[in-house]
Amino acid sequence: MEHDDKETYILLLLSDSNLPTGSFVASSGLESFVKHGFFSSHSSASDSTLSFIQDSLATYARSALPFVSDAHHIVEEFFQSDDTDIDTTIVGLHALDDLYESMTLNHVAKRASKSQGVALLTLYSKGFSKPVFLQQEETTESTRETRLLSLVDRLKLTIRREETEGHLPICWGVLTGALQLSLERAQYLHLFLHARGLLSAAVRLNILGPYGAQQLLLHAVRPLIDREVSRCKHLHTELHNAELAEENFNGPATTWPLGEILATRHDLQHSRIFNS
Amino acid sequence: MSVVSPSIQKIDIGGGRIVSRSHGSAVVFSELSSTYPLKLLSPRITQAGVALVYILSYGGGLVGGDRIKLSVDVGSETTLVLLSQGSTKVFKTRPGNRASGGAQRTSCSSLGPITTTQTMDVLISHNSALFLLPDPVTCFRSASYNQIQTFRLSGDSSSAVLLDWVTSGRKSLGEEWVFSRYYSVNEVWVDGKKIVKDVLLLEDSIEDTKPLPQRRLGDKLAPYSCYATLILYGPLVQNIILSLNAEYETISVFKMNVPSDLIWSISGISDGKGCVVRVAGKDTEGVKSWLGNALRKLEDVMSIDMYRRAFSA
Repeated sequence: MEHDDKETYILLLLSDSNLPTGSFVASSGLESFVKHGFFSSHSSASDSTLSFIQDSLATYARSALPFVSDAHHIVEEFFQSDDTDIDTTIVGLHALDDLYESMTLNHVAKRASKSQGVALLTLYSKGFSKPVFLQQEETTESTRETRLLSLVDRLKLTIRREETEGHLPICWGVLTGALQLSLERAQYLHLFLHARGLLSAAVRLNILGPYGAQQLLLHAVRPLIDREVSRCKHLHTELHNAELAEENFNGPATTWPLGEILATRHDLQHSRIFNS
Repeated sequence: MSVVSPSIQKIDIGGGRIVSRSHGSAVVFSELSSTYPLKLLSPRITQAGVALVYILSYGGGLVGGDRIKLSVDVGSETTLVLLSQGSTKVFKTRPGNRASGGAQRTSCSSLGPITTTQTMDVLISHNSALFLLPDPVTCFRSASYNQIQTFRLSGDSSSAVLLDWVTSGRKSLGEEWVFSRYYSVNEVWVDGKKIVKDVLLLEDSIEDTKPLPQRRLGDKLAPYSCYATLILYGPLVQNIILSLNAEYETISVFKMNVPSDLIWSISGISDGKGCVVRVAGKDTEGVKSWLGNALRKLEDVMSIDMYRRAFSA
C-alpha cells in the first residue's frame, strides 16, 4: 500500500508537462507530415490527427518499448543485488544504447532521442535526488539511493564523453527503474507521454484546439495506448537473452516506413517551429 | 547453369553458396552451388574484376514454408553483383497446385499462412564490393515473408550497395497491401561492429479499435505502393553519397496540399562513410527509375551493360 502511494506520487511527477525534458520541441514527424500534404482533405483534423497518433504510436511502441523494458530490467537487477557492480551495469546499458543507435537510422529522430534522453538523466540527478539538508543517518534505503545516483551520474558522464549516445528509451528505462516505478507503469507512461506530446504538437501547429486535444486524449487515445502496451510489453531486444533466437523474428522493428521518411525530411521544411 | 560442386551434398534444401575469388583480372567462382527451389545463374561478364549472379527460384516464386539460405563470400579484389529476374513473388501456397505435387511444401490452409523465409549472409573482404540490386519483393494476398540479411564488411576498403524493396502486391488483381506479414532485417557489420540494423515489419491485422474506425496496413502506407530502402557504404560509393546529399540539400518544402508521387530521404551513418536512403512511390516503375538515376555512377564500376540489366524496365 505504502509503495503504491509512492508510485502514484511518482507518476504524478513524471506526467507533469512542465518537466524540462525537451519534449515540447519535438513533434515526432507530425509537422513534416502535415507540411508534405498528408493530412487528407476528406477527413476532419481530429480524424487525421488520430490516424497519425495511431501509426506513430504503433511504430514507436514496437521499436522503443523493448529497449525501455531491457534498460529497466538492468537497473532493477542493479539495485536488487548489491553484488552487481556498476561497471557491469554500465556495459549492459551501453550495449542497449549501441543497438538502439544502429536501429535508429533517421538523423532527425536520433537528434531528438539523444537530447531528450540526456535531459531525463539530468532530471534524475538534479531534480529527483534527495536534497542534502534532508539526508539523515545511513539506512538501507539511503545507501540504495546513493548507488542509483552514482549509476545515473556515471551513465551521464559516459554520454558527455561520447562513449555512448544516451537514447530516450534507454534513459527512460533507467530513470523509471531508478525511481522504482514498476515496468508496467513505466511502459504505459512512456507511450502516454508520446501520444500526449503529439497532441500538444497538434495544438501548437494549430491543427486542434486545446479542448479538442484534451477530448481526444481522454476518449480516443486511451484504447490506442492500451493496445500498443499489450502488444509490445513482452518484447525484448536480442540482448536480453542471447540464447533466444526468437528476437530475430520478433524483436524491435519499424512498422511505419512512411512516417520514417517524413520524419527524416523534417529539416527540409522551408519554415518550421519544432526540432523534429 | 549453376556449377555442381561436390559440396552440394552438404547444402540443405533451398541452400546456396557463392564464393568469388580474384584470378588475374578475372573473377572466378571457387564455389557456386544451390539446391531446389533456389537457383543461381552466372552469365559471362566482360568487365574486369566483376562477376554477376542471378538469384532465381524455380517457378518464379516462393511459397509458404520455403526456406532459402544463401551464403556469399566476396573475395578480395572482386566485385560481385547480385540480381534477380523480375520481382520475388511470395505466394501463400503454390499456385494451382494446392492438393497435388507441391503438397510436401504447402501446408493446410487451416493452419493459417506458413511463413516463407530467405536468409543471406555475406562476407565482403578487403578491396571488394557487393552490389545487391534485386527487383522488389511482391507478397501476394495473405502471404507471410521473413527476410534476414547480414553483411560483414572489412575495414574501410570494402563497399556495399544494398537494395531492399517491397511492393503492395498484384495491383492488377486489386491487391493493395493485403499480404499478412512482411518482415525484413538488414544488418551491416564493419570489422565486427554492428553499425546498421534496419528492421521493417509490415503486418496487416484486423483488430477491435473502437471507438476508432479500422485501420488496415493499406491505410497507413497510402498513397504509396512501393517502399525501398537503400544502404550505401564504403569508398566505391562516396561519389554517389555526395551527389545524393547535394541533391537532398536543395529541397525546400513549402506547404503542400497533396502528397507528391514520390518522396525520399537520406541519413548518414558512420560519419558519412555510408548512408541510408528511403524511397516511397505511387508506382514501382517510378521508384525504379529514381533508383536508377541515383545509382547511375555505378555504371563506371559494373559496366553500362550490367547497370542496364539491373535498372532497365
